[in-house]
Amino acid sequence: MPAPGIVLIVGVVLIVAAMVYYLVATILALRRIAAGLDDAIAAVGEIVEKSAPVEEVVGDINANLDAAVDALEGLLVKKVGLVDAIGLVDGLYPGAGAAGLRNFPGSGELKPPRIGEVYTRGVLTLARLGREAPIAAASPEGPVLRHAARAASEVRVLYPHDRQIRPEKLPNSPVIGTDSPVQYEEALTPGVRPRPRGPAPTAPGDDDTKARP
Amino acid sequence: MILYWIGALLVLLVLFPVVVYLLRGVLEAAQGIVPSVERIAAAATAGSQDLDAVPLLLTTQDQVRQTVETVADYGGSLDMIVDDA
Repeated sequence: MPAPGIVLIVGVVLIVAAMVYYLVATILALRRIAAGLDDAIAAVGEIVEKSAPVEEVVGDINANLDAAVDALEGLLVKKVGLVDAIGLVDGLYPGAGAAGLRNFPGSGELKPPRIGEVYTRGVLTLARLGREAPIAAASPEGPVLRHAARAASEVRVLYPHDRQIRPEKLPNSPVIGTDSPVQYEEALTPGVRPRPRGPAPTAPGDDDTKARP
Repeated sequence: MILYWIGALLVLLVLFPVVVYLLRGVLEAAQGIVPSVERIAAAATAGSQDLDAVPLLLTTQDQVRQTVETVADYGGSLDMIVDDA
């Protein structure tokens, strides 16, 4: 065999050997990649499966919280007014008044009154319950929250009483018995009440009647 | 004969290095992907484990519903007993 043929064969053999080496190494690397992707795909599948109900549950939670926020904001504004509501929120959570109430656009632009600087939370709670008369005028500079003297009576007006106390002086109940100042004869016929035996009370028109012939 | 020599030397000195260079590039690229894929698999596994607490959202949902109902009850009572502004 000529020498160039031998060199050619050696070259081809080297090329084939290099191809075998690198291609086998590449195949092994690709297998590791495939195994890693299988693990990743399995984990991603678990993520998808586990996170599937999250949107529905979180949406339901947010809906409930939205309803609660709407109701509480509406109740707060209804009871204390928008300005005092902002002041109360800002008093409990300093700076929160600037954000305003969600359902009342523009409420964040209101200047919150200095509720939180004057009263404590408990006093504010009592104030909002309408029983803050002693502390209503405690604010040295700002306006009072409620009328200091009439707060209790104003609150009392809101609730019905078992007994009617207004007007304060009602006619007394009639006194009955043998010692009663007005004695009545026993009724002979139901529904017919005879005149009392004592001196009859003078009516405004009695003098005119006696004056007549 | 000279042409045979030239062909043999081309195969040995040119074609063989080129083939080795190309195959080595493919191998390095494939081996470079392996760590990235392994990190992705580890991150996905950790993310899946982090979501094991998702069923607790059902408890949270139920508690939020009960809390809102209680708040609504209190709000209704306050609406009755507290005077309006």
